[in-house]
Amino acid sequence: MKAIFRIRRYNPEKDKKPYWQEFTLEDVLPTDRVVELLHRIKWEQDGTLTFRRSCAHGVCGSDAMRINGVNLLACKVLVRTFARDDAEEVKIQVEPILGLPVLKDLIVDMEPFFSHYRAILPYLITSEPPPADGRERRQSPQERAIFDDTTKCILCACCTTSCPSFWANDSYVGPAAIVQAHRFIFDSRDQAADQRLNVLGAPDGAWRCRTIFNCTPACPREIKVTQAIGEVKLAIVRGVEHVRQQKIADLKETPAPEE
Amino acid sequence: MATLVTTVTEVLRYRGKIGQWSWVLHRVAGLGTLLFLIIHVIDTSWVYFAPAMYEEAIRIYQTPLFTLGEFILVACVVYHAFNGVRIIIFDFRPAWWEHQARAAQIVFLATIVVLVPTFILMAQHVVEFYGGGPIDPQIAPVVENVVIPFGGGMVVALLAGVALSAVVGAVTGNKGTPGPLLSQRSRLDQVMWSFMRLSGLALVPLALGHLAIMHVIEGVFAINASGTGSAADFVAARWVFIGWRIYDVLLLALALIHGFNGLRYVINDYTHNPTVRRGLNWTAFVACVAIIIVGAISLIGGVPGM
Ligand code: HEM
Ligand code: FES
Repeated sequence: MKAIFRIRRYNPEKDKKPYWQEFTLEDVLPTDRVVELLHRIKWEQDGTLTFRRSCAHGVCGSDAMRINGVNLLACKVLVRTFARDDAEEVKIQVEPILGLPVLKDLIVDMEPFFSHYRAILPYLITSEPPPADGRERRQSPQERAIFDDTTKCILCACCTTSCPSFWANDSYVGPAAIVQAHRFIFDSRDQAADQRLNVLGAPDGAWRCRTIFNCTPACPREIKVTQAIGEVKLAIVRGVEHVRQQKIADLKETPAPEE
Repeated sequence: MATLVTTVTEVLRYRGKIGQWSWVLHRVAGLGTLLFLIIHVIDTSWVYFAPAMYEEAIRIYQTPLFTLGEFILVACVVYHAFNGVRIIIFDFRPAWWEHQARAAQIVFLATIVVLVPTFILMAQHVVEFYGGGPIDPQIAPVVENVVIPFGGGMVVALLAGVALSAVVGAVTGNKGTPGPLLSQRSRLDQVMWSFMRLSGLALVPLALGHLAIMHVIEGVFAINASGTGSAADFVAARWVFIGWRIYDVLLLALALIHGFNGLRYVINDYTHNPTVRRGLNWTAFVACVAIIIVGAISLIGGVPGM
């Protein structure tokens, strides 16, 4: 099929304002990924087209873009998502994610995003010495299950830049940083939940979330983002232990996955 | 303010799911209700402070513009109440999030189911009042008595707040709290988060009950249509019963604190200049306290001479 691309272009050295540019590609397959087609445009038509990608397999989180109106990883989305397999033509619109400064074309400055990430202290903090046997710090499968979901985050910024509260105010810490904080707050080996909840309990912390639910479907890793944010708010209001007990009760209700 | 424009255009462009629209409506409905409530509390207080003006205010409530506004108000409160309950449920049981889209649909549906018979009842009052004849839109008295004094007053109050904040900034050197992430828990935000939810739940019976009685069952046209034809008498008859005064005081305080805190959320979202933000928040705070006091005095004082 034929693919008609509409891409948001911006070169700070030449352009006063971003603009849309169209490209047409022939012989596109329904199973092509959008990132491959962006490569074809770059290699065959316009070498100046600029975008990030690294792994091209949904692992590194480099290529978050707004594609046909929603935040997606270009390397994880197939042409099939936007047209029937026997369609003659597919229209694909690509623009940078919103809320971070655009550096060039589809590339945004991720530094504000990462500074929010660093603010929640995304590393293990404990005064316990490492186990004497030199091996890992252990925890039960149940202790792990409580925060398993939020370990999957690849920091692509799809969720944070889908959030109207973040669009309104980029000092809002944002869904991704809250997800990353959740991963440590509910980890039985970590002892700095209070410190993290201080950051998330600040005016620009979790309180700016209005439970809009744009972030949850935006996550390419299917993390239950809004749920994690909700649990963090409850942890601030009612204590980490309250939420932990609630989660343990919920886990008991859902049968454990088959090994 | 620039991000307000961005948010409006991008909410239209971003293909968010139903939750995005629920949020837009919830916010607009909340702010709309607050706007009405401010005007409403002030002019109801005239029953105590200036009874003659109160009669005039009720007559303005009975003009076509306000009749239309009343339908919009009822729709706003009903939707906001139902959607508020939805938000509260998922706040306290985040793990149920999978049902949130269904819940948002149910909220829309329930709103329509409740509004259809409500609007029919309200329309009956309207038809009774206006009869079959041609309707004079009476825009001039509304502009003269409501838009100019209240709209003007709000603009002046907001500008005064910002100006005062700028003066304080110049004198003390404290320009207001800037943007970068703080790492200190905000007691205010934490308490307000819980308050928004508790007051929201309390407001479901209070606000919906008030609307049902005053706007649907009785209707504003009934206020000065019985007995002596005086609106103050209507209010006096109602306030004889102490239960109604307690009800009204609760509704007054909870709705105003809830609504003005909601306004604070909106101010903090869309204003970025620290001086402006501080000024607007102060204005909101002072207005909230002042309106509660004015409303409470007239509720306690009651109708003079009754
Ligand atoms: C009738 C029962 C009501 C319920 C259940 C309710 C519930 C809620 C809840 C849960 C929120 C918090 C939303 C959030 O933090 O994301 C909220 C926000 C708000 N409410 Fe209400 N509310 C009610 C009545 C009212 C009334 C009477 C007013 C007007 C005076 C009002 C004005 C607002 C405003 C302006 C917001 C802020 C909206 C935003 O930040 O997007 N609410 N409401
Ligand atoms: S390029 Fe690594 S996630 Fe897409």
